[in-house]
Amino acid sequence: MVTPMTAQGTQLSPVEVGYLSAGPGRAAETALARLLDAGLVRVSRDGRVSAVHQHGHRGNTPVEARMHKSVQTPVSFNKVVKTAAYSTEMQALHRQLLNDNLMRKARPRAQAWWVFLGAGVLLTVLGFLLPGFFIGAVAFLLIGFWARGSSPVTREGKAVLKNVTASDRVLAVALYGFAGNVASQKVGDLFELSQSVVKMIPLKRKKKSAGSSCGSGCGSSSCGSSSSSCSSSSGSSCSSGSSCGGGGGGS
Amino acid sequence: MAGITDLGVGIGWRSEIDLTVERLPGVDFVEIVAENIHLGNLRGDQRSHLPESVRLLLERGIPVLPHAVSLSLGGADQVDLDRVRHLGEVAEAVGAPMVSDHVCFVRAGGLESGHLMPVPRTKDALDVLVENVKLAQRNLPVPLALENVAALLEWPDGELSEGQFLAELVERTDCWLLVDVANLYANARNIGTDPERFLDEIPLERLAYVHVAGGEQHGDIYHDTHAHAVLPEVLGVLDELCSRVKPPGVLLERDDNYPSDTEIASELAAIRAVVDKHRA
Amino acid sequence: MPEIAGNEHSAARERLAARQAELLNALLAKGPAPAGFDEQRLDVERRALLSKRRGIVRMLGPAVADELGDRFRPLFDAYAVEHPRHAGSRAREDAAAFAEWCRASGELSVNRKARWKFWQSN
Repeated sequence: MVTPMTAQGTQLSPVEVGYLSAGPGRAAETALARLLDAGLVRVSRDGRVSAVHQHGHRGNTPVEARMHKSVQTPVSFNKVVKTAAYSTEMQALHRQLLNDNLMRKARPRAQAWWVFLGAGVLLTVLGFLLPGFFIGAVAFLLIGFWARGSSPVTREGKAVLKNVTASDRVLAVALYGFAGNVASQKVGDLFELSQSVVKMIPLKRKKKSAGSSCGSGCGSSSCGSSSSSCSSSSGSSCSSGSSCGGGGGGS
Repeated sequence: MAGITDLGVGIGWRSEIDLTVERLPGVDFVEIVAENIHLGNLRGDQRSHLPESVRLLLERGIPVLPHAVSLSLGGADQVDLDRVRHLGEVAEAVGAPMVSDHVCFVRAGGLESGHLMPVPRTKDALDVLVENVKLAQRNLPVPLALENVAALLEWPDGELSEGQFLAELVERTDCWLLVDVANLYANARNIGTDPERFLDEIPLERLAYVHVAGGEQHGDIYHDTHAHAVLPEVLGVLDELCSRVKPPGVLLERDDNYPSDTEIASELAAIRAVVDKHRA
Repeated sequence: MPEIAGNEHSAARERLAARQAELLNALLAKGPAPAGFDEQRLDVERRALLSKRRGIVRMLGPAVADELGDRFRPLFDAYAVEHPRHAGSRAREDAAAFAEWCRASGELSVNRKARWKFWQSN
C-alpha cells in the first residue's frame, strides 16, 4: 500500500488520509476497511461486524486496534464506525494531525456568514455611488470571510491529499467512503459489501473537507440509542433456550 | 420413513458467518438453529421469512436441517407443543427431510438452565423421555433425530450406560440418532464414558448424521465450547465411528470466536478426509 | 402437569421433576447440593452455566458490558445468582433485566445520551 509522505517525510496511514479527506467518520470507515482488507473482521449479510479470531493480529494503528477489540462480539456496521469516530484513539490521531501541521483548529462557519457577504457586496455596489460605503464594504466582506469559517485542513494537508489516489481499495474508502464511487464502481463492492450494509452509515453532510464534526456522517443523534447491536437481527444464536455448545471456560 | 440420503459434509449456519458459509467450498448441507428462525403468521410463502442467506442456500439446492435446542424432551414437564409446532413449521419452510433436538432437559422447577442438561439414565427418566418424544413425533411433519449431549456431571444412580439408554430410546420411539462425536469425547474425558462401547451399543442403522465441534481442556475438564478448534482426538472418535458405519452426513458446529474462512475450510477438509478414508 | 399416561407414568414424571428441579435449584439459585452428586462437579457445572449466561448477555448488550468494563463480570455474577432465569424466559429478557438491575443499583448511568453529547461536543 502506497500512502503519501508529508513534507517532513512521515508516512501517512490510510486512516490519517481518511481523516484529512473527510474527518473522523471517514477515518473510522478507513480503519474498518483496513481490518476487512487484512481479514481481521468479517461482515454478515445483516451488517454486523465481528472479529475474525486469529492469533496476534489486532490491526496496525491504535484506531484499528481499538476497533478490532470493539467487535469481539458482533456490532452493527454503522455503530462500529460511530464508536471509532468518537474514540479517544481518534482524538489522539486528530491531535497528531494538528501537531504535524496537516490540520488546524478550524473556525466553524457561522450560520449567517452569507448575510455579511451579501451586505458587503451591496455596500460595494453602493460604494460606486458614494465612495464612503467602500469602508463598510471592506469591513463586511472581511467579517463575511471570517464568518465563513476556515478549512480545518492546512495548505500542507491539502497538498498531501492531492497526491493521494485510490490506488487500492482501502485508500478508495479513505478518499470516497464506503458509499462513494471510484472509477464508476461502488467502493462498497470492492469489499463485497451489499448496498444495504453500506447505507447503514448515515450520510449527513457531504462536506469535502474535514471538520471537528464527523465528515462522512457519524454524528446522528442516534448515538445515544442504547439498543444492543443485534436487537434488530433475528439471527443471534441465543434468542431463547440455549445453543448446543458453550458453557466453557468456567474459571 | 424416508430416512436420510447422503448429506455429505456440512456446517452449522450462523448469521454472523452467513457470507462465509455461502463462500466456503465443500459445504454439502447446513443446519439452522430452529429457535433463531422467526416465521411470520402468514399462510403464504414461509420461505420469505427465512434469512436471505438461508434462502440463497436453498436455491442452490443445499439441504437445510432445522436443529432445536429448547424442546427439553428429557424434562419432566410435558413437551411444549408450541415449540414443537414451530420446529415443524421451520422444517416445512426449508423443506427439510428431518429435524433434531437433544436428549436433555433445559428447564425444571420454574428455572431455565440456559444449557443442555443431561438426564438421569434411569427407567423413570427414560419413560418420560419416550413419552415426550412420541408426543413430539406425532406433532412433527418429518422424522425426529435426537442427539447425545456433553455432560459435566453425572447423575448418581444411572441404571443404563449412555449407549444402552439411547438404544432403548430408539427401540421404543423409532427416532433417529444424531451422534455428536465431540460430546462423546467430552463425556469420555469428563464422566468416563467409553466411546467404543457407546458406538457398539447404539443402533448405527438409525444414524441420521454426525456432529463435530471444537472445545478446550481446562484443567481436568474438557469444555465443549464450539468456540475453539476441533481436537484431533475428536476426529479420532469420528474415525472410530466411520470404521463401523458410513455416516449419512457429518456437520461441523461452530458457535463463537469464528476463525478465518480458510481455517473453517480446513476443518471441513479434515472432516472430509476422515470420512473419505473409510469410503475407499 | 402429567396427563398422558397412567398413574405409573405420572409418578415417574413427578419423581423426575423433583430431581431435576433440585439440581437446577442447586446450580442456578444457590439451592442445597442434591444427594449423590460430586460437589466439585456441581461447582464446575455451576461456573460453566454462569459463564455461558454471562457470555450471552455480553453479546446481547455489548454497550452495557463496555460501560461497566471490569465491573461487568462481578456485577453480572452477583445479579445472576439472585435472578436465575425463569423457565421459558428469553436470553434477551435476561440482558434487559441485568441492565435494569445495574441502573437501579446505580452502577450504570441512567441517561446514556448525556455521555454521547459529551463526546460530540469534542
